[in-house]
Amino acid sequence: MLSAQDARKLKPSMVSALVLVLGLVGVLALQLMLNMIVTQDAYHLRSLEAQKRDLATEVQIIQEEVASLGSPQNLADAANQLGMVANPSSVLLDIENNRVFGEPTPADGDRSIVASANLVANSALGSTSRFITASLSDAELIAGVSSESAEVAGVTLQSGLIPASPTR
Amino acid sequence: MGAHAKYSKRLGIFAFMLVAIVAALGFRLVDFQVVRAEEIQERSLERREVTRTLTALRGNIVDANGQVLAKTVFRYDINAAPKNVGPVRTNVNGVVVERSVAEIALELAPLVGLEFDELVRRLDGDSEYVSLAKLVDADTYNKIRDLQVPWIFWDRFADRLYPNGAVAGNLLGFVGRDGTPLAGLERQYNTCLAGVDGQETYERGAEGVRIPTSNITTQPIENGGTLNLSIDANLQFFAQQVLADSVDSLNAEWASAIVIEVETGRILAAAEAPTVDPNNPAGVSADDRGSRIFQFSFEPGSIMKSITTGIVLDTGTANEYDTVQAPDRMALGFNNEFIKDSFDHEEFTLTLAGVLRYSSNTGTANFAKDIDRKVRENYLRKFGFGEPTTLRFEGESGGILRPSSQWDKRTDINTLFGQGLAVTPIQMAYAYQALANDGVRLDPILVDSCVSEDGTVFYKPNQGSTRVLSPDAARVNLEAMEKVVEFGGVGKTAAIPGYRVAGKTGTAEISENGAYTDRFAISFFGVAPVDDPKFVVGVTIYKPEGVRNSARATPPFKAIMQQALKHYRVPPSTTKSRDIPSNRFGKVDEND
Repeated sequence: MLSAQDARKLKPSMVSALVLVLGLVGVLALQLMLNMIVTQDAYHLRSLEAQKRDLATEVQIIQEEVASLGSPQNLADAANQLGMVANPSSVLLDIENNRVFGEPTPADGDRSIVASANLVANSALGSTSRFITASLSDAELIAGVSSESAEVAGVTLQSGLIPASPTR
Repeated sequence: MGAHAKYSKRLGIFAFMLVAIVAALGFRLVDFQVVRAEEIQERSLERREVTRTLTALRGNIVDANGQVLAKTVFRYDINAAPKNVGPVRTNVNGVVVERSVAEIALELAPLVGLEFDELVRRLDGDSEYVSLAKLVDADTYNKIRDLQVPWIFWDRFADRLYPNGAVAGNLLGFVGRDGTPLAGLERQYNTCLAGVDGQETYERGAEGVRIPTSNITTQPIENGGTLNLSIDANLQFFAQQVLADSVDSLNAEWASAIVIEVETGRILAAAEAPTVDPNNPAGVSADDRGSRIFQFSFEPGSIMKSITTGIVLDTGTANEYDTVQAPDRMALGFNNEFIKDSFDHEEFTLTLAGVLRYSSNTGTANFAKDIDRKVRENYLRKFGFGEPTTLRFEGESGGILRPSSQWDKRTDINTLFGQGLAVTPIQMAYAYQALANDGVRLDPILVDSCVSEDGTVFYKPNQGSTRVLSPDAARVNLEAMEKVVEFGGVGKTAAIPGYRVAGKTGTAEISENGAYTDRFAISFFGVAPVDDPKFVVGVTIYKPEGVRNSARATPPFKAIMQQALKHYRVPPSTTKSRDIPSNRFGKVDEND
C-alpha cells in the first residue's frame, strides 16, 4: 500500500511539532500580555475619567465666574464705580471721506435718562468686580497723576488704569 | 498472596474513592457548566453588569453675538448618613491625623449654609440619610469633597443657569427644578434644546473598574442644540434699564420696548419691566413671568393714526397735499354721538401730515371714514392685526380685530384712531416695520436658528413677507410721520440730533369694565433714519401715574433709538426732511 519512502515522508516531523507547540505557547503568552495591558489601561482609564470630571468641574466654576463678571449687570456697576457716564450722542468719523458726523458733546450724568447703576435683577451674579482704593493709589504713584474723586461712587478714578477685579 | 491481596484491596478502595470523587466533581461540573450554566451566568452577570443613563445636556441659548443667556451647569445636593458619623482619620504625608466630628462640622457648616448647632443636630441619630444642602454650586462641592469625609455623599444634578439674570428673561422663560421647561423659548423650543439621553451597559469588577472586554451596548447620547436668538443682549439690557427707570419714576404698571431691524425683520431687543429673572422665577408675581409684548393686548390709541394715513395714501383717497377740516369736536350724525380731539382748538384745515402732527381724531376720521370698512379691515389684517404673529410665542395673543361686518357705526370710526380694537406691542411694532420697509411687512424673527453639536441645523425660520402698502405710499407716509417729530408738541422730544426720525405718539385711555378710566397706555413708535430706515423702536408704558400724555414715552424711545444707532454704527442722515405742508392754524398743543 504505502512504500517505505512515502511512509517516511508522512512521519510527523519533530520540527513542525515544535513550531506548532511553540507557536501556541507564543500566541497564548501574547494574549496574556495584551490582556494584562488592557486591564492595566482600564484602571488608567478610570483615573483619567475621574480627572476629566474634576477638570470639567473646574472649567464650570471658572466659566460661571467669567459669565458673572461679564454680565451686563456687573459691567454697569463696575463702570458706575469707576465714575463712568454713558454718552448717548455719538460722533462718527468717516475715514475714507474725511468727514465727521455729529456734534461732540460731553457726557453729563445728571441729564442722562439712563441710570448708570444696574436696575436689572440677576440672582446668578456671584462674582462682581470690586475696585479697591488702595490698589488704585499704587497705580496713581506709578503714573504720577493726581487723582480725581468721582462724587457719585466715591471711588478714585485714575489714568485709564483698571485694576484687576478680585473675585470671591 | 496475603500482602498482595491487602494491597490490591487498598488499591481498589483508593481507586473507587478516586472514581467517586472524580464522578462527584464531574457531576458538579456538568451541573454547573451544562445543566445550570445559563442560570449561573445570568446571576453572575447581574452582579457585574451596570446600566447607566447618560444624561443629555440641555443646549445653550445664546444671543446674536454668541453671548450665553442660558446654559446647563451641575449642582449638587449634599447629604450625610448620621448612622456612620464619627471621627475621620486621614493620612497626611504619612502621618495619620484624626479629626473629630465637631472639627469637621465647624468646617462644613459655612459650606452647607447651616448654623453649627443645626448641622450637629442633623448629623445626630442613626438614620442612613439626611439632607444637608440643596443645589450647591461646583465650587462649594469641591470644597466639601476636599474635606474627605466618608459619611458625606452627594447627588449631582444638571441645572439651568442664566448668567445675565433678567436680561431677556421675559423671552427665555425658565425651567422647573426637575428640568421641565415651564415658559418662554425654553418651552417652545424644547425639542431642539432638550437632546436625547444615552445609555450604556458594561460589566465591572469588584473594585468598580470596568472590565475591558465586557460588552458595552450604548445608546449614543445626543446633547441638546444651541438656540441662536436674534436678540442683542447688550441692547436688550440697555432697553431694560431705561424701562425699569421709567416704570419706577412714573409708578407705572409695566413698560415694554421693542427694537426691530427694518430690513431683516429681526427682533434685536424685546424688553420689559418689570420682568422675570429666570434664575428665580418665584421672585416676581405670576403676571410678570411672561412676556406682555406677545401676550398682552390693549387699545393702541393714536399710534394707529399713522397706519390709517398709510391706508389713505395707498387707496389713493388723498395725497400729501389734500386737506380736510378738523374741528375739535365733530358730531357723527347718529345717536347724538361725537368724537373730539384731545385739546380744544379752532377748526383746523389739515393735510395728512397735519393730522398726524396734531394727532387730530376728527381730521383722521374725515380723511378715512369714506374708505369701505371691508377694505380697511383687509389692510389692518395685512398689517398683522387680529392674529398672532408667525412666531407663535408661548401664550401669544392675537389681539382683537372683529370682522368689519360686525363693526357698529361707532367702532367703524374709532378703529381709525386706535380704539375698538386691541393689539399686542409686537403686532404694532411690525405694522411700523411695514411702514418703514417700503410697505412690506416681514414675518418677525426671534430665533435665527437651532443648531446641534455637530452643526446640523434643526430649525431655521422660514420668513414670509406681506406687501401692505405701495412703496410710494409708504415713503410719503413716513415723510408725513417725520413731521410729528419735527413739529409735533410731544413728538419733538423724540428728535435725535443728526438723524431724521419719524414716529407717532399715542395716549390711549384704558377701558376697564366697559368704561374708559383716567389711566392711560402711553406709547411712542418710531423709525430712524428716515432716509434709510434701519430700526423701528416701539415703547409703551402702561398706567403711568398722573400722566395724561405721551411726553413720558418719548425719552425712553429716544434713549433706546439713540443707543441702537450708536451701537450699530449707523451714520447720521445726510438729507433734510421733505417740505410737505401741514396747513396748520392755531397753537401746537403739548397734549397728544
